[in-house]
Amino acid sequence: MQQYATSETVDAVVIGTGAGGAPLLARLAAAGLKVVALEAGKHWQPAADFPTDERAQSKLFWNDERLSAGEDPLPFGNNNSGTGVGGSTLHYTAYTPRAQPDDLRLRSDFGVGEDWPFDFDEIEPYYDEIERFLGVSGPASYPWGPARKRQYPLGPLPVNGAGQLMERGCRTLGIRTSPAANAALSAHYFQEGVGWRSACTNRGFCQAGCSVGAKASMDVTYIPLAVHHGAEIRPESFVTQLIKGASGRIDEVIYVRNGQEERQRCRYVFLCAGTIETPRLLLINGLANSSGQVGRNVMAHTALQIWGEFDEDVRPYKGIPGALISEDTHRPSDQLAGPVDFAGGYLLQSIGVMPVTYLSQMARARGLWGEALKQSATAYNHIAGINILGDCLPYGHNYLELSDEKDVRGLPKPRIYFSNGDNEERMTSHANQVMRRIWDAAGARNVWAFPRNAHVIGTCRMGNDPNRAVVNAEGQSYDIPNVYISDNSTFPSALSVNPALTIMALSLRTADRFLNRLNRLD
Amino acid sequence: MPYHYPEGTVRALLNTDHVTFATRTALETRLALEAAYEPRFFSAPEYALLKAVCDRLIPQTGSEAHYIDIARGIDERLARNESNGWRYDAMPPDQDAYRLGLAALEASAQSRHQQSFLHLAEDQQDALLTLIQQAEVDGEPWDHLPADRFFEELLAEAVENYYSHPLAQETIGYVGMADTPAWQRIGLNELDDREPRPL
Ligand SMILES: Cc1cc2nc3c(=O)[nH]c(=O)nc-3n(C[C@H](O)[C@H](O)[C@H](O)COP(=O)(O)OP(=O)(O)OC[C@H]3O[C@@H](n4cnc5c(N)ncnc54)[C@H](O)[C@@H]3O)c2cc1C
Ligand code: SF4
Repeated sequence: MQQYATSETVDAVVIGTGAGGAPLLARLAAAGLKVVALEAGKHWQPAADFPTDERAQSKLFWNDERLSAGEDPLPFGNNNSGTGVGGSTLHYTAYTPRAQPDDLRLRSDFGVGEDWPFDFDEIEPYYDEIERFLGVSGPASYPWGPARKRQYPLGPLPVNGAGQLMERGCRTLGIRTSPAANAALSAHYFQEGVGWRSACTNRGFCQAGCSVGAKASMDVTYIPLAVHHGAEIRPESFVTQLIKGASGRIDEVIYVRNGQEERQRCRYVFLCAGTIETPRLLLINGLANSSGQVGRNVMAHTALQIWGEFDEDVRPYKGIPGALISEDTHRPSDQLAGPVDFAGGYLLQSIGVMPVTYLSQMARARGLWGEALKQSATAYNHIAGINILGDCLPYGHNYLELSDEKDVRGLPKPRIYFSNGDNEERMTSHANQVMRRIWDAAGARNVWAFPRNAHVIGTCRMGNDPNRAVVNAEGQSYDIPNVYISDNSTFPSALSVNPALTIMALSLRTADRFLNRLNRLD
Repeated sequence: MPYHYPEGTVRALLNTDHVTFATRTALETRLALEAAYEPRFFSAPEYALLKAVCDRLIPQTGSEAHYIDIARGIDERLARNESNGWRYDAMPPDQDAYRLGLAALEASAQSRHQQSFLHLAEDQQDALLTLIQQAEVDGEPWDHLPADRFFEELLAEAVENYYSHPLAQETIGYVGMADTPAWQRIGLNELDDREPRPL
């Protein structure tokens, strides 16, 4: 791997190597720029370092304590955020649906939320490129959204028990389903700059790390591509300060490695530390916040799960967890579950689950303990879940602030306020009915709900108005022109799909815009 | 109707090629933990109380040799001052929450039964834990700690510690650790040979 001296002024420092950081790192390196990625977490060797054991794999989570406030406090750690070279993609489920064009026009269509500062056509070519590069597995024809220019590069992954049950229930009710698009390989796949990656072994463990490299986490895709093109990855480097020079630009980044403070001089900074750490870093440093919007507009997808027990053997530890999808609820018709009284919509996803995650959720949501808990736990091999992922509006009451409490690094812990609003409540109750009907039709018993929100979004939103947005439509800070943000924090609205594919698309788009601008300057 | 699975499946699988080296190492370390444990964070009386509570949250009826020390993981975590990444803002920091919660539990036992929680009958212990779960306890010690949240957090951690143990996983028929080579039969009612059938 290429190494740069800290005394050298590199072209760009990229902070964070997750879905937002890794793709642009590869793009900038491929353009010949000198780039260094500073990543707080470790660089794992999955085959040797990733046991199939949830406890041992808690090392993939961002475990510095955050304070969860509001009516619906958001759990972090294993529910929300990762660390390591690859970021949260180390433990994402690799479910990669595309957003639909109307996801970007919520305000135009419903009069609430925000529109995006560009439309679907701007993102579509990037979806296409990323799906091809990662080797996304998906159906030959996908029932929802605009026609695709090219098919998914690989056929769909096999559907596990939970997916079969959801399909059965949906078919009875006339809800269309499809094998889902997943960024995990249904066959061996050759990747530029990376080599051959092997196929998914159906081990159902994506949320605790893929030991076989079948899942397209960034550490086996864009990171090796970036290294191939000359990027340096500096793991275990926790950024604490961005130093402003006389020109008002950031010319140095300070980080802690092995307990020592180090500095890296640079021309540009790409802040890709995720929805919580990006605004936290900006607030700690008092930067880029003339709009007052840093930390505001916290959104989290509606993500209710409905679990049921079945006579059939399901064995929820096998197969890609999110095997099946339906987007018939993207803009649901009134026929589905009565008049629709909310803006936006959601998708339906079948879910397999690892045992500790499942039982811990069950204990929390059902309050079961003693013999009742142990008995219910023995049904683990017979349970299956459906989950929604739906839009969430930005509200003034949902935001991130710095608390007075310090964490182990001596930095203020972030406090995150989150309460669902009326729109989220109505959408969730609609989804609750729909999912219960599906499970009834599929023959479920002992059905129960796990209320939750998933994916934190929106604390540094992009937009065309510098008074209401932190970055412009290219991801560039309005206040500090050599700072770009690329991660889940810039989404103006939450979208009704899982975020990672769109984060990667914006990441490449930001890189291309930036490179264009740079060429013009030269 | 509870399902029962045969004993010994996980241990047997650990010795086969169905388990990777990394997985075997992680699980065997957990299986090999010595029964005797001196708490590092809690005082001896606190630890005895915590163990008694864990024994009600997840009662273990098997032999002594199969006992899984749930409290130990909590003590080890707090001794290292580690977090799981978040806490309810309404709760004090984890170390304080556990200390306060155990003291409050003991105070409630004393004020209701004039006895230590340790000496209550099991149904009395369960009744008190239910009140805590429902936040229906009062008294000064609970003024600093939302009882229901304390219970929820303790329960979740106890469940995670218990079901992380291979022998507990065995009781629910989980053999996901034996994931090599690929699972071939993943549909409904399809089992690979190495998966246990319920008794
Ligand atoms: C259990 C789970 C399942 C998921 N499943 C899916 C899914 O199926 N599909 C989907 O689309 N999305 C999924 N997601 C969400 C997805 O993983 C995230 O949305 C996405 O990875 C976020 O990308 P990001 O770039 O914003 O941040 P991250 O990927 O979290 O990357 C941020 C990186 O920055 C680093 N960092 C932070 N602060 C600093 C600092 N001060 N100095 C240096 N480095 C720092 C972190 O260590 C981390 O590596 C899932 C998430 C979870 C938790
Ligand atoms: S299910 Fe497939 S992609 Fe997911 S962790 Fe297992 S092998 Fe990797």
